[in-house]
Amino acid sequence: MKMRFRKISRAPIISGLSFFVLSILAASGFVGTSIAAESDKEVEARKAALDLAGAFSNDGFKIRDGHWSGTIKPREHALIAVNLYSGNHYWFSVGATGRAKKLDVTVYDETGQQVTTESYNAGEKAAAGFSPTNSGQYFVSVGLVEGEESSVCFLYSYK
Amino acid sequence: MSTSIDKELHIEKWATASIQNSPFSVNSRPRSLADSRWQCPPRRLTLLAMSRWIRYGALVLITVLTATSAEAPRLSADQLAKAIRNDSISIPSPGELFAALEKPGKPNWTGQYRGPMPMTYRNRAQIALNLGGLIADGFIAVEAQDCQQVKNIGTDIIKLAKALGVSQNVLSRGNSINEFAENNEWDALHEELEATQNEVKSSMQSHSDQDLVILVSVGGWIRGTQVVSAAVMQNYDERAAKVLRQPALVKYIHTKMGDMSSELHNEPLVKDVSDQLNGIEKLVAFPPGKAPSAEDVRKVNEAVGKVMEEIQSKTEAK
Repeated sequence: MKMRFRKISRAPIISGLSFFVLSILAASGFVGTSIAAESDKEVEARKAALDLAGAFSNDGFKIRDGHWSGTIKPREHALIAVNLYSGNHYWFSVGATGRAKKLDVTVYDETGQQVTTESYNAGEKAAAGFSPTNSGQYFVSVGLVEGEESSVCFLYSYK
Repeated sequence: MSTSIDKELHIEKWATASIQNSPFSVNSRPRSLADSRWQCPPRRLTLLAMSRWIRYGALVLITVLTATSAEAPRLSADQLAKAIRNDSISIPSPGELFAALEKPGKPNWTGQYRGPMPMTYRNRAQIALNLGGLIADGFIAVEAQDCQQVKNIGTDIIKLAKALGVSQNVLSRGNSINEFAENNEWDALHEELEATQNEVKSSMQSHSDQDLVILVSVGGWIRGTQVVSAAVMQNYDERAAKVLRQPALVKYIHTKMGDMSSELHNEPLVKDVSDQLNGIEKLVAFPPGKAPSAEDVRKVNEAVGKVMEEIQSKTEAK
């Protein structure tokens, strides 16, 4: 699969300086913890996920504004429920911090049966894409195949 | 020694011939009595050859078993139940729903507009529900590529958001919506509308209005489903109708509504919406792979239309 990357100009990524300022504000009670709770590692993982999703934007995919962030240990998986529409094509992108060496993204349907997907894997970034034939609930499993415990960020795009 | 090697060689040749002549072999030919394995003289050889057959069978069995176990693994119901679900990732945006609806053919988006709604609601739950619906209207205007309608809706979104006391960040989104609309940046508008919705939700969270967050999503889903079902009714297409199947989504938002504080959940409008979601969940639970009929779509449209009317109705609010 040919990947073309574009520069992401989306606002939500908080820079290191902004994060520092937000941390101080949060500590002093001016900013809610939900904003300041995003750690440097989560920001790094989110940037990696957005970088990857940005490549799909070149093919007309729109990136959902929502995301899930968390930490996974080697050979562990996080299972995320999503609700998809038949007719759309989806790419599920995952980014992690540098300590992750290989990630795995697998999609399951509502019965728990694995779905055939296209996949992309490059170090701390991985993605899986498919077009559901049925609308409904699907489950995306994000696993850390190689590397140390890492922060990961999951988001998806559609067209 | 040499005898032993010869014997082994003989066994090998014999066994090969047996396999070639077996019914499974592509080289099998009609066999005469002379070819029969029972004519093969030493009994010991026959047994050895049979053991080779057993080994061959075992190999086939192992291959079949391996192939079966190599099939895609299946997650258990318990694993699925424990999956992570959150508002921003498990609830699709109206834009996502409309993108799927457009695949079989572009619907008449302007035909899905609705008249202006009152901006003077005082009940916070009703404001949150209508805000979600209004954001869905914004997506409709974007799909219709109607600059003026996007700007009008953007203004209304900000008015309702202000009524909820959301942060300055949300209010500045209004300017961005206008700017993108004037420049016909429709893809950017998609992202901006969803970002506005999420900004409203995070502002609610930081103002301890967590319970209202799900109401914004509920309002958006109901309005989106009303529009999609209406568009499918106007021009029935099985592929478009299939986007209406979302039982797990309705169950999720219904469960989230059940988790609200009892005070909010017992408000007449919220209670009514929650009760009606029970029926809607059944209406959108079509079997996988089966497109809902035109009659099924009409029932969904009627049910969500009724809820939307109550959400919008000024007189029903506290």
